[in-house]
Amino acid sequence: MAFASKSPWVIHYDGSSCNGCDIEVLATLCPGFDGERFGVINTGNPKHADIFLVTGSVNEQNIGVIKEIYNQMLEPKVVVACGICACTGGVFHDCYNVLGGVDAAIPVDVYAPGCAVRPEQLIDAIVAGVAALDEKSAALKAARKGA
Amino acid sequence: MTLLTTLIGTLLFAVAGPVVGCLLAGLDRVISARMQGRVGPPVLQPYYDVRKLFEKERVSVNSVEGVYVACALLFALLAGGIFFSGGNLLMCVFVITLSSLFFIMAAYSTRSPYAEVGAARETLQVMSYEPMVLLMAVAFFQAANSFDVAAVLRLDHPIVCTIWLVFLGVLFILTIKLRKSPFDLALSHHAHQEIVRGVTTEMSGPVLGMVEIMHWCENVLFMGWIGMFFVWANPVSIVIAILIVALVYFLEIWIDNNFARVKWQFMFKSAWLVALIAGGVNVAFLAFL
Amino acid sequence: MEFSFGLIGFLIVFPLIVAAVLLFVRQEAPRRVIVCASGAVIAAASVILVVMNLGAGCTLMEFESMALDFVCTGISVAIAAVIIWFAVRYKNLLAGVLAAVQVVGTLILEFTFSHGIEVPYGLYFDSLSLLMTFIIGVVGSGICIYALGYMEDFQAHEPEGAPDRRPLFFALMFVFLSAMYVIVFSNNMEWMFTGWEVTTLCSFLLIGYTRTDEAIKNAFRQIVMNLAGGLGFLVALYCCALTVGTFSFYEFLVIGQNNPALTTLAVTALAFAGITKAAQMPFQTWLLGAMVAPTPTSALLHSSTMVKAGVFMLVKLAPVLHVSPAPSIMVMLVGGITFVLCSFMAISQSNAKRVLAYSTIANLGLICACAGVGTAEAVWAACFLILFHAVAKSLLFLCVGTAEHHIGSRDIEDMDLLFDRMPRLARFMMLGIMCMFIAPFGMLLAKWATLVSFVDTRQVALIVILAFGSAATFMFWAKWLGKLSGIAGEPENVEVTVKPTEWVALLIMACLLVLACVFLPLVSTVLVEPYVASVYGVLGQDISTDNLWLSSICVVIVVAVLFAGVGAKQKCRKVDVYLAGISRDNEGRAFQNSLSGTTQATTRNWYMESVFGEARIAPVGVVFNSLIMVVAFAVAFVVTPMVF
Repeated sequence: MAFASKSPWVIHYDGSSCNGCDIEVLATLCPGFDGERFGVINTGNPKHADIFLVTGSVNEQNIGVIKEIYNQMLEPKVVVACGICACTGGVFHDCYNVLGGVDAAIPVDVYAPGCAVRPEQLIDAIVAGVAALDEKSAALKAARKGA
Repeated sequence: MTLLTTLIGTLLFAVAGPVVGCLLAGLDRVISARMQGRVGPPVLQPYYDVRKLFEKERVSVNSVEGVYVACALLFALLAGGIFFSGGNLLMCVFVITLSSLFFIMAAYSTRSPYAEVGAARETLQVMSYEPMVLLMAVAFFQAANSFDVAAVLRLDHPIVCTIWLVFLGVLFILTIKLRKSPFDLALSHHAHQEIVRGVTTEMSGPVLGMVEIMHWCENVLFMGWIGMFFVWANPVSIVIAILIVALVYFLEIWIDNNFARVKWQFMFKSAWLVALIAGGVNVAFLAFL
Repeated sequence: MEFSFGLIGFLIVFPLIVAAVLLFVRQEAPRRVIVCASGAVIAAASVILVVMNLGAGCTLMEFESMALDFVCTGISVAIAAVIIWFAVRYKNLLAGVLAAVQVVGTLILEFTFSHGIEVPYGLYFDSLSLLMTFIIGVVGSGICIYALGYMEDFQAHEPEGAPDRRPLFFALMFVFLSAMYVIVFSNNMEWMFTGWEVTTLCSFLLIGYTRTDEAIKNAFRQIVMNLAGGLGFLVALYCCALTVGTFSFYEFLVIGQNNPALTTLAVTALAFAGITKAAQMPFQTWLLGAMVAPTPTSALLHSSTMVKAGVFMLVKLAPVLHVSPAPSIMVMLVGGITFVLCSFMAISQSNAKRVLAYSTIANLGLICACAGVGTAEAVWAACFLILFHAVAKSLLFLCVGTAEHHIGSRDIEDMDLLFDRMPRLARFMMLGIMCMFIAPFGMLLAKWATLVSFVDTRQVALIVILAFGSAATFMFWAKWLGKLSGIAGEPENVEVTVKPTEWVALLIMACLLVLACVFLPLVSTVLVEPYVASVYGVLGQDISTDNLWLSSICVVIVVAVLFAGVGAKQKCRKVDVYLAGISRDNEGRAFQNSLSGTTQATTRNWYMESVFGEARIAPVGVVFNSLIMVVAFAVAFVVTPMVF
């Protein structure tokens, strides 16, 4: 049994969001929805996090930051693109400096569209992310045994 | 003889300490959640967290951090073993300080700015609570006529009767030792991190898991210190002590949820003032009366 | 027995001969041979003396010599002449006056009062002397050997054409050792006084070695304070001559224990001499000023000689202090206040040598406090504090000295990454630091015993002082240790050029330290307990042997981790540290800032100047301790029955 799904710690990064999605992400983590029921904890440190919540599109300024945070997270890790901008670039997709959705920088596991993304949808996305986390954890364990 | 009992005590504590500490941490989170009007995680959530951490990839920023943390854990277990096998209280205090030192060195060794801030604050915390802890050991010696924790089992009345002032002082610094708000300067257990994650900023995966286990063991040890004040020759006293420990732990959770973090100046000065008044007066009282 | 006393004579005379030879050796190669060989001989002779007499009680030796008395007087006159010459040359009135007073006093004493007072047993040894012998012989000559490599580098760093005073330097080092042996083996207090003054003069010359303005200033501060202490010794000799009627230290102590009122003034004066030599507040400034000297001098002054002579005197006086309240309270309070305040001030220092100096003064304060308490347990603790402090401090000074030559600074902030740049040296330094302040190492066990003795004697003030002082001690050592332990990438290793003699000395100290910590229970049985038992009739160890062995096991674990466990290559993936943004140069802690420029993160240790600054704290100690001493002397004058 993998424990990754029982304690998904998340880290939240605002790429270039209009803050609509950010407010919803934080609302999801607030006592009202009580994410801690499922072991969700909001960490500020990529080294402690399992799930990377990104809001907003990727541009020239933030692509480095997103990559660095992603690289500093430990395997197994899952990326959730929160909101339509994070999924595809949204209404900003053809701005001169926008590169696209989060998948322009790092591999994304779960897409949660919406403008802004609603907490219910985010919870669904995290649950989907947790399943992916479990799979990756099992794969890592198998790889470690094989090695 | 002492060596053998200490060894057995340490082995037993290495098994029982983390189990009890884990449950304590789980209860802490549930009760905190209820105080905030939430449902909260399952009681075993800390266990899931640590198991997950041990499942994660093994990475490190340097080759020594993990070794230092392992030492910190080892000495925390030894301190618990010394205490719960009825060994020397002063020795227990010294060994747990050694454990803190290794923890601090682990943070410093990373050279991460955030970890260094945490390490410096942790050092300050040790300096803040150390006088009270030493005076607690002295007062214990005066009240029980021995540094051996087992001596309380031969007393006619609990030592808190004569050193209640010291007990209050220990209660004050207990908040620092348990890393509870308002004194969680070096490392906080909550989402509202202080300067990223203080001492543990660079610790990840299994190393962070070891740190969690160490905290469980430390918490059990410190609760043991609290219980020690209420045990005497009567076996019933153990039950009373456990009840009081539960009460004190609840009090700490309540404090944690109701007070905002203070600045280091306030923590340091108030802790020393409390040690000087509560510890000094009580020790003087026992020495001259 | 004959052989042992032969060895004592050898230990006193041999270093003098070596010193005389070294004075005329100007080449490096022969000097290296002479210093190494004679250092080894002195160390070996000391160890043989100690091993042959393990567990010895006080053993007196019949030895009397008018000629030696005159030699001692002659030396005193010579010392005064040298000091007055320097005082005239550098226009320092106070030093000249003090030296003149002292020499006149000595001559009057010698030719009027001391006639008819004979000391048939001129020399002696007991387990405490043997402990000191071990420290002087092994640690002291280790420092001499270390100085070879250090002084070569030192001379190379000097400007072109600077005079090479190394022959004098090495000669003084060996004279110092000889004088220390005189102090610990003399039963005749006049001889002891001569040794006492020789150490004062030697450290004066060593501190002023570089002849810079600062060095001269600090050297004179040292000589003024220690001459004042010497006057205290002289007062004690007068008291001995007038009221007690003996110059035998042994008899003096016995009389003091039985009839404390008679000796109160003499003991107070001797304790005052010990306090000045041990650099207790308000005299702490001379030891801080001594830092201008080359590092081996500091190491010698701090660990095995000079200040240890001061606390040796106080520990010898402990049984008398136990029964005479006035000097006892003086020594206890001066020591205790010095301990706590100097521990505080050490937090505010970033200069490594000043941190070490404050730590030395603080620990000497603790030893003083133990001596002032004067019970068997306190003396047991004091002996161990002396031993561990000597070894750990010499190791630390030697490490700092070597580091200074290779990283170009003695500031703790510049010791960043030393763990990578000088891996072996950093580990030695960390070992020394850990031994100074953390259980399970010896120093802390001694503090433990100290604490118990304070509790037993109900010294509440001292208990509180120890609790707060120890907490401060944790702070300043832990942050230094943290600075040393930082690792980032693979900086250039700069320790390949460290001289082999330096490594030898460092290794000796480190091994000695580990062995002493691990075998502390044995040292207690064969060296410390016999002394305590011979004076008090009880063993004095108040920590159960099981607990001592438990700490020994912990020491082994920590040392193994430090030297074997740490730094081994690991298989796991190496990652960068978190810098909250885009790293530009992660090992250098540089990151991309919000304006896309590069910012480098820097961290400094925490000095808490506003709480523990020298300017805030030092005056408190100076005023308090001066008052205490004045009151103690006043009381001593009143209670001592005077002949005149």
